[in-house]
Amino acid sequence: MNSSDAVREGLIPLLPRLRRLARALAGQAADADDLVQIVLERALARAAQWRPDAALDRWVFAIARNAWRDELRARGRSQHLFAPEDAGEMAVDRAGAQPAQQLELAMALAALPPDHREVVALVLVEGMSYGEAAELLEVPVGTVTSRLARARATLQAHLGKDT
Amino acid sequence: MNPIDDDTLQAYVDGELDVDAAARVDAALANDAVLARRVQQARAVRAQLHAAFDPVLDEPVPARLSALLQPPAAQATMPSPAVLAGGRRTGAAHRRASRRWFAPGAALAASVALLAVALWWSRPSDDMVRMHDGQPFAAGTLGHALDHALASEPEADAAVAIGLSFRSNDGHICRTFVLRRAPARAGLACHGDAGWALPVLGVAAPAASGELRQAASALPPAVQAAVDARLRGNVFDAQQERAARDAGWR
Repeated sequence: MNSSDAVREGLIPLLPRLRRLARALAGQAADADDLVQIVLERALARAAQWRPDAALDRWVFAIARNAWRDELRARGRSQHLFAPEDAGEMAVDRAGAQPAQQLELAMALAALPPDHREVVALVLVEGMSYGEAAELLEVPVGTVTSRLARARATLQAHLGKDT
Repeated sequence: MNPIDDDTLQAYVDGELDVDAAARVDAALANDAVLARRVQQARAVRAQLHAAFDPVLDEPVPARLSALLQPPAAQATMPSPAVLAGGRRTGAAHRRASRRWFAPGAALAASVALLAVALWWSRPSDDMVRMHDGQPFAAGTLGHALDHALASEPEADAAVAIGLSFRSNDGHICRTFVLRRAPARAGLACHGDAGWALPVLGVAAPAASGELRQAASALPPAVQAAVDARLRGNVFDAQQERAARDAGWR
């Protein structure tokens, strides 16, 4: 099996997590899936660069983060950050879930600066350790910690009304 | 006692502390309602994020995305995704089937891992886990610690460190625990008629599969997630913990 087959087959089971990460970064479902499409195309085009001893999920998540940053730059931030009415897409009906609170959270997340938002997506949504996120973002662990603390404080303030 | 600073508290909530540091926070939490409330708020943010984004994991993957990952030969002969979505038998049926497999894949992997951990645990001379109706339950030293130990009165040399105790949303009392011996292992125990059931067991070492799991964390993410999923009210303070023990964890 050559490396492009290995990457292609390895990506299939990662698709749900990749889509979740993209949703946390991009917000709107349509934007997020556009991002996933760009990520898959890039990953396949660069399959030769992936070394089998490196974790494929981290490799492709790094591509996703960089592609999202490229998109942000290309579109200009103000246009990209989603309008409040679009946040409703995230309020998925689920037993025990509180759509109003999730809407609140989605809006708060969308309002975070990209530096904060990506740390939240990688650590709190995807579940990476601080060290893994720092490596992916190419920043010191202390930077991850402080960005996460500030992002958390902002999100908590939005949730605080209800808790 | 030294106050717990913000960075330490955040690292605690995110499972980044080592066993001893986490045990210190556990002990502080049991005696400090303000601190416990801050931990609870930090956990609530993460729980809400998961509630908002985890449903994406169960959504069907759009055909245009999964089509990109078909082998080149299949792509050449495959009809357009729009046709596939209406699906006859070939590609669409196959993809739907694999999709159905992928969604519960994580749960399946988790239960296999749980079984493997349980089997591995039950092998050492000091049996800490027994199987009952196919489910792991605490036994031996672990069972004893869950029955008797209080997080508010940690014993320095104990083999098992008790973390949080709380009443789960299904009414049972649950406690997190960490084994002090290397390699650190952690889990969640919930009390029922048959003793302490162990719905989640974790090892702190990274999984061989390349899964994103943090090393050297007191509570592995799977255990954190299990706590987040069950926690509705407050975690017990020292008084409530003692009262729960005196009442036989009912």
